[in-house]
Amino acid sequence: MSSRILVVEDDERIRSSMRLALEGEGYDVDEAGSGEDALDRFAAQSPDLALIDLMLPGMDGFECCRALRRQSAVPIIIVTARTDTHDVVAGLEAGADDYVTKPFVAKELGARIRALLRRARPAEEEPSALTFGDLELLPDQGVLRHKDGSEVHCTRTEFRLLCELASNPNKVLSREQLLDRVWGYDYFGDGRLVDVHIRRLRTKVEPDPALPRHILTVRGMGYKLVP
Amino acid sequence: MARLAVRIARTAARPRAEGPATTAGGAPDGGAEDRGMPDGRAARAAGTDDQGAAGAAAGRRRQLRTHLGVRSRVTVLFGTGALLLSVAMGGISYFSARHFLVNEQESTSVHTAVANAQSVRSQLLADRLGGRGPQPQTVIDSLDAPAPGSVLYYGGRRYATSISASTVVPSALHSLVGAGQPATQNFVLGGQPYIAVGIPIPSLHAQYYESFSLADVNHILRVLLLVLLSAALVTTVLGIALGRLASGRSLRPLTSVSRAAMAIAGGRLATRLPEAEGDPDLAGLTTSFNRMVDQLEERIEREARFTSDVSHELRSPLTTLAASLDVLESHAAELEPAGQRALVLLAADLRRFERMVGDLLEISRSDAGSADVTLEEVSAAELVRRSVQAGVRTLPQDMPRPAVETDAIEGTHLSVDKRRFERAMANLLENAALYGGGATRVVGEPGPPGPDGRATIRVAVEDEGPGVAPSERARVFDRFYRGQAAGKRGAGTGTGLGLALVAQHVRLNGGRVWVEGGPEGRGTRFVVELPVADELPVADGLPGGDELPGGDRTERGPEDRTERGPEDRTERGPEDGTERGPEDGR
Repeated sequence: MSSRILVVEDDERIRSSMRLALEGEGYDVDEAGSGEDALDRFAAQSPDLALIDLMLPGMDGFECCRALRRQSAVPIIIVTARTDTHDVVAGLEAGADDYVTKPFVAKELGARIRALLRRARPAEEEPSALTFGDLELLPDQGVLRHKDGSEVHCTRTEFRLLCELASNPNKVLSREQLLDRVWGYDYFGDGRLVDVHIRRLRTKVEPDPALPRHILTVRGMGYKLVP
Repeated sequence: MARLAVRIARTAARPRAEGPATTAGGAPDGGAEDRGMPDGRAARAAGTDDQGAAGAAAGRRRQLRTHLGVRSRVTVLFGTGALLLSVAMGGISYFSARHFLVNEQESTSVHTAVANAQSVRSQLLADRLGGRGPQPQTVIDSLDAPAPGSVLYYGGRRYATSISASTVVPSALHSLVGAGQPATQNFVLGGQPYIAVGIPIPSLHAQYYESFSLADVNHILRVLLLVLLSAALVTTVLGIALGRLASGRSLRPLTSVSRAAMAIAGGRLATRLPEAEGDPDLAGLTTSFNRMVDQLEERIEREARFTSDVSHELRSPLTTLAASLDVLESHAAELEPAGQRALVLLAADLRRFERMVGDLLEISRSDAGSADVTLEEVSAAELVRRSVQAGVRTLPQDMPRPAVETDAIEGTHLSVDKRRFERAMANLLENAALYGGGATRVVGEPGPPGPDGRATIRVAVEDEGPGVAPSERARVFDRFYRGQAAGKRGAGTGTGLGLALVAQHVRLNGGRVWVEGGPEGRGTRFVVELPVADELPVADGLPGGDELPGGDRTERGPEDRTERGPEDRTERGPEDGTERGPEDGR
């Protein structure tokens, strides 16, 4: 069964060409011409991934992102023509997992989609549970919960990032390594993806996100998790 | 009557300079002395000098102007003005004082001499009437005339109050007075100035001469001159000081204007001059300057925005085109041969068009001053290897791969924007592929310390192509400059922005780039010099080089992705990079 992708884009020609390209890659495609439309379609079709253009009439891409994130952990890729600093970071802050810039090549977009749709972990010699602080991580089940049993909601990307860090406790992982293992980017991937996701993770797993005790930044090198 | 006679007599006496002083007194300049002559000559000489100086200055003015700044010129002007003014004032004071004093002295002398002559006459007449016979020596001795005293010619003989007095009658004066004309003459005796007054006594056929010292008058005049010269000197110095002060004060606004202009030229377009309130002279300058900068800024922004907008607007249709082309390409096998060829052409130029729009956008962002740099500390050798790896991936398959030599920079760390470095390397490799038959070698090596004393590394991309002529080397980094490749704008050419972007990326990374002849005089060698990171990380936590999931990378790369770094890693690029990038030429 092929994955279902929701394309949110106001320019009809781009939407059509994206549908063509994505269908060529073997995906089922839903189209939405506005943010409001996107929310309706999302509720009706529950796609596996959403592609959201940031410049939308009415409800903009950021708002659409936030609205989707409130109700779902679905992977979101934002599409931006404006590559200004704020757009990308703000989009990631709004809950997006990754971004592509216009004009994109279908193959590249396909690669980004595949990376996000990948299962949480390829089952290697995976420990069934990882713990740090009062949190418990169950990679097979995709569950993060407190020791008392209450679940912490996080997106698939956040979960995979946490798994990478937790399975290498006390070891520094560079941004490049994390980009490679979580997003499938090479050496020149955008380190901001890691940084924004780490920030978001901290708000979920740290007692005090401003003074992290578990997910630590190692200046000039990367991040490490201290149980 | 005496006055008129004296004046006539003096004019007559003046031309013939030799006087008794010359013969008797031994003073070399005796008879020629007009009263106060030395001073007069000095004054005249000074006047000539002034004129000469003025003439010479006129001749040299053009030359001087090129050497002297406004401030120095104003200072010189003030100094000269003060000097001229004080000399003029001093001259007037001096000459009027001298005129007054000398006239006073002269008329006193003449009056005394006339009185004495009358006294001599009456005594001689009295002697004659008294029958005792004239006693001229006794008469003049009784006059109590001060040295050098009086001389009386009477009855063909000469009587003097002293021996020296007998020598003091200038012959010119003697002949005038002998002809019945009262007269005066100045002379110098023993270095002292005197005035001799000769009064004829016609009733006795005698002549009476008396000399008066001018030393007092001359002393006063000399002191006066000294005082006036000192005053002129002080005034001139004050004038210079005032000129310096005034020019400094009046130029102070210019200093701030110049500082502001420098800042603006350096790219800080928001710089403005503070409003000069209450100063109508400066308000005009400030207002017009600020207005100029406003317009300049608006214009630059408008242009940058225009380029940026155009690029952005082009991106939407490009997205449609690129996505549709991808679909077409995946169905290429189903097309007729002609359709396939058309598709290949279409694809090639669409990629190029995409690149051009991307490059334009990149450059316009820098023009608009919004180019942000995300600095990261990375291993230099690793970065070079990865960049070359990524760069060659976009080159045609048949292009030879360059040898990468990074042993010399192993263990060195850089603080760079990886994306920008990778773009720079990719563009250099592409440039070598387009114009140099492909890069043969990429060498990393330590460079000499930079201007700020930081250690540097150099990364050189070498090819063995035709090379770049020395005259073209500075210009290859200009936008759309194609040099000898001009006209070859065929299928294989780049966007014309590649090297301009290389210069920009390298500059934003705090480095510089240049081109030189290849080793052994063949080919071309593009050298990128970058400063080494200040502090080294403890360990290199980068993954190994061969396990890159690079298969789904495209030729565009993540070129538009990173614009500003997160958290603690974001820095502005050094706007005033040392190397002349294409932006500096604006």
